Amino acid sequence: MPASTLAGLALLRSGECQRPRLILLAALAGLLCPVAASSAEIPLYPTGPSQDAAFVRFVNAQAGGLEFSAAGANTRTKLSPEQPSSPFYTVDANTRVKGRFHAGGQPASDIGLTVKPGEFATVVALPGAGAVKQAILREQPDDFNALKVSLALYNIDPQCGNAGLNVVGRSAALFEAVAAGSLQRRALNPVSISVQLLCNGKVMPTTLALGALQAGQRYSVFVVPAASPTGATQRLFITSDSVAR
Amino acid sequence: MPLLSTLIAGASVLVIGDSHLSKPDYLIKSLHDELSRQGALVHSLSACGAVPSDWLGSVKMVCGAERIGNGPVTLVLQNASTRPVKPLIAADKAKLVVVVMGDTIANYKKEFAKAWAWQQVTSLSKEIVSSGATCIWVGPPWGSEGGQYGKTYARVQQLSNFLAANVAPCIYIDSLKLGQPGGWITVDGQHLNPAGYQAWGSAIAKAIAELPAPNKP
Repeated sequence: MPASTLAGLALLRSGECQRPRLILLAALAGLLCPVAASSAEIPLYPTGPSQDAAFVRFVNAQAGGLEFSAAGANTRTKLSPEQPSSPFYTVDANTRVKGRFHAGGQPASDIGLTVKPGEFATVVALPGAGAVKQAILREQPDDFNALKVSLALYNIDPQCGNAGLNVVGRSAALFEAVAAGSLQRRALNPVSISVQLLCNGKVMPTTLALGALQAGQRYSVFVVPAASPTGATQRLFITSDSVAR
Repeated sequence: MPLLSTLIAGASVLVIGDSHLSKPDYLIKSLHDELSRQGALVHSLSACGAVPSDWLGSVKMVCGAERIGNGPVTLVLQNASTRPVKPLIAADKAKLVVVVMGDTIANYKKEFAKAWAWQQVTSLSKEIVSSGATCIWVGPPWGSEGGQYGKTYARVQQLSNFLAANVAPCIYIDSLKLGQPGGWITVDGQHLNPAGYQAWGSAIAKAIAELPAPNKP
């Protein structure tokens, strides 16, 4: 679902508000550039938004597919097990964002949240019967760096207290003690690795190949509840934390 | 090691930026002339007040300017706008794109909007690099403190550090290392006088020429 169609979620790129005010200000004040060039006659324009950008994405932690929609919109976006995450959509900070999760056979569940300036919010549709339950996790990253990989661990499973990730084949812990309902983020060098899950310090039979992690890209690994024939009680998946254009 | 100057000679170079290229005695003269002297076929295009993501589309601005090759500077007033950079690169067959931007995302009078600035910078750098062209990003100069834009040395340093960490795969040229705080006189704290633009433009062109040529097939 293109960002432009999510009008019900009050999508507005931070800074776009500046553009109409800028043109109007310049027109009213007669501050257009003169034809005879003069270094002193330069129009005033803002050098940034009144508040930082805010972002929201939607993630499906259920075993099957589901959809989400923006309030007032007729279209729905699918979140499948293969593509469980939407990109981050830009929203107006401090403004109510509304939508709905739709899972076949389950009552639809309303989404409602407010995102702070500089915040990246993730709304997760949780496994379970009845109306789709949700968890909202928030971060305000400070680690923007095009030369490093940014990787987060989001622990969505209350049964996996203090989640951790070890690098398979090395005695290195990538993450430790990430409480259920919380996340941690770190930077690393570009690398191709697989990880193994720990819950409460115990190595779990759940691994995930993260693939070749690229510099400048941001990723999230999610720990979600699962019922597996092999007996694993958690599932891992990785998302690319892209921003919708 | 081959230098970028070997790439520039005879190559098409696209320069895009903000108001620092928008008047005849600004970088659209000095930088454009210096790159031309290095043998490049230069196309410079500016839009006053534009932020990086504005160059992914066509966004109206209050003023702008354009110059092609050895031609004169054309000032654009009411119909000034950015143009989508990828079709520009394709039309010019540009091997090198030089972006001169930073002051318009510094938020001088307010708190630095980090997430917004990250989104701005990465959207443009990814767009340029996806075209296959080599990308160079030039950060803003010191300017002088105060003035109508509220520029401060601390903020422009913070912004430059941010750009240095976030413009890759574009190569970053730190204009703060090319001059001194207050060294180039400004008319409003942000825009330089003609001598300042001449000095800045020459320094940028020299820095570009001395970069290592990228390893490309």
